Amino acid sequence: MNLLLIAFDAEDAVTCAAFGQASNHSFDILQLTGSPATHLGAGKVISLDLPSLPPADYFAAALKLIAEPYDRVAAVSSMRGKDALPRLAGLLDWPMISDITEIVDEKTFVRPILAGSILTKVQLNHPKAFLTFRPAGFPAPNLGGESQVESVNPEWIGSSKRLSESLSEGGRPDLATAKVVVSGGRPLKDAETFEKIVGGLADALGGAVGATRAAVDSGIAANELQVGQTGKIVAPDLYIAAGISGSTQHMAGIKDSKIIVAINTDGDAPIFDIADYGLVADLFDALPELTQKLQK
Amino acid sequence: MVKEKNPAVILMGKQATDNDNNQTAQMLAAQLDWPQATFASKIEFTDDKANVTRETDTGEEVLAIPLPCVITTDLRLNEPRFIPLPGIIKARSKPLTKLERQTTDQPRVEVLTYTAPATRSAGKKVATVDELIAELKSKGALA
Ligand SMILES: Cc1cc2nc3c(=O)[nH]c(=O)nc-3n(C[C@H](O)[C@H](O)[C@H](O)COP(=O)(O)OP(=O)(O)OC[C@H]3O[C@@H](n4cnc5c(N)ncnc54)[C@H](O)[C@@H]3O)c2cc1C
Repeated sequence: MNLLLIAFDAEDAVTCAAFGQASNHSFDILQLTGSPATHLGAGKVISLDLPSLPPADYFAAALKLIAEPYDRVAAVSSMRGKDALPRLAGLLDWPMISDITEIVDEKTFVRPILAGSILTKVQLNHPKAFLTFRPAGFPAPNLGGESQVESVNPEWIGSSKRLSESLSEGGRPDLATAKVVVSGGRPLKDAETFEKIVGGLADALGGAVGATRAAVDSGIAANELQVGQTGKIVAPDLYIAAGISGSTQHMAGIKDSKIIVAINTDGDAPIFDIADYGLVADLFDALPELTQKLQK
Repeated sequence: MVKEKNPAVILMGKQATDNDNNQTAQMLAAQLDWPQATFASKIEFTDDKANVTRETDTGEEVLAIPLPCVITTDLRLNEPRFIPLPGIIKARSKPLTKLERQTTDQPRVEVLTYTAPATRSAGKKVATVDELIAELKSKGALA
């Protein structure tokens, strides 16, 4: 069984290596941008060294020949992975298994359905497959094992054109893989208040910032910060939910966190049913107090 | 069906909740060799192309894709309109065409078991921020 991991950048390559190691098979990494991650124990790193990521039609057409010899081709189930990998699977007419949370063996995987309310064990009845996996299920890889770098220059064919793109601002850790996440909900009022109160605590903890859909839809938080069924799935060591009621859609994205802390004025809010620690308090008092005490 | 109807745009949901696969539209686009724009939050059509604002890991991007194309929708694309009762009744009398599904012998991905995930239960209520900090420190969650 040979495995190819598609990494969109160098940081992604680390998450990919975690999956590769969990599979107990040797693996190669195909890295699209950034300097090749040669320290992750891959058989080889196939480097495309692109200035930016191509739209999915270019991606699939160009990578078809590189992917074809492998038995399994996997990527993180990020938005970019979910966009591009099924297209590649469609071109090669291979089956695909999305959002894997556990590897049972090379043909059997565990994945959630119905917004995480049910886990299914699925079996592959085909020699080849594309896979996407959730980073939370696969802890940091062991480093080591220098890999050779192979440069490739496939032909780029497609018809879509990117007119504009917002890039990550950096500074804070990536939400999907952060160790600490502080999230805020609807009561945060406006973007400035959200950034000050929620962002302030996240920075004191060296964590990432998340938000509910209600906060995103009312313009308090950016859409890429949305956590939940239709946003990012997170599983940090510590998740702090401030002013969040605990809708099933939000909880679907946080329930694999190690410790959940809820801060809410309503002692009966459903978030308290799954929180390890609950504080019935006004977040406008509690968060600044926490921030100040943790900064010391 | 696409060959028969010859559409300029195929608009699909991004994923079905019963399997949460998020694959069908992308695979269809590949098999038709049409461009795609997934997770659309805004679509503007011109004569021969669609400008699609789509949600990405880092925010959003705008793609211009020529028609025909495949687009999948994200939640923010639109508010579904309210359908009045007479509309629902009227819709019942519209012709409904049923297509036969071409079944394959054995599914290439087969579900073996369904299980309930581990549930979380309510933990402890703390009264003050200091108590919260002390609890988190004792669990090693805070330095
Ligand atoms: C198809 C679909 C998909 C969805 N996907 C997602 C998703 O991925 N992620 C997501 O988050 N939502 C999602 N939603 C929306 C979800 O149903 C809820 O509407 C949303 O999560 C509620 O956000 P909230 O908790 O911020 O707001 P609310 O439910 O309004 O809760 C606000 C909470 O803040 C508390 N509060 C008020 N003032 C204070 C204060 N001063 N201090 C402390 N607490 C205070 C209140 O007691 C309340 O519990 C989805 C919905 C649908 C239909």
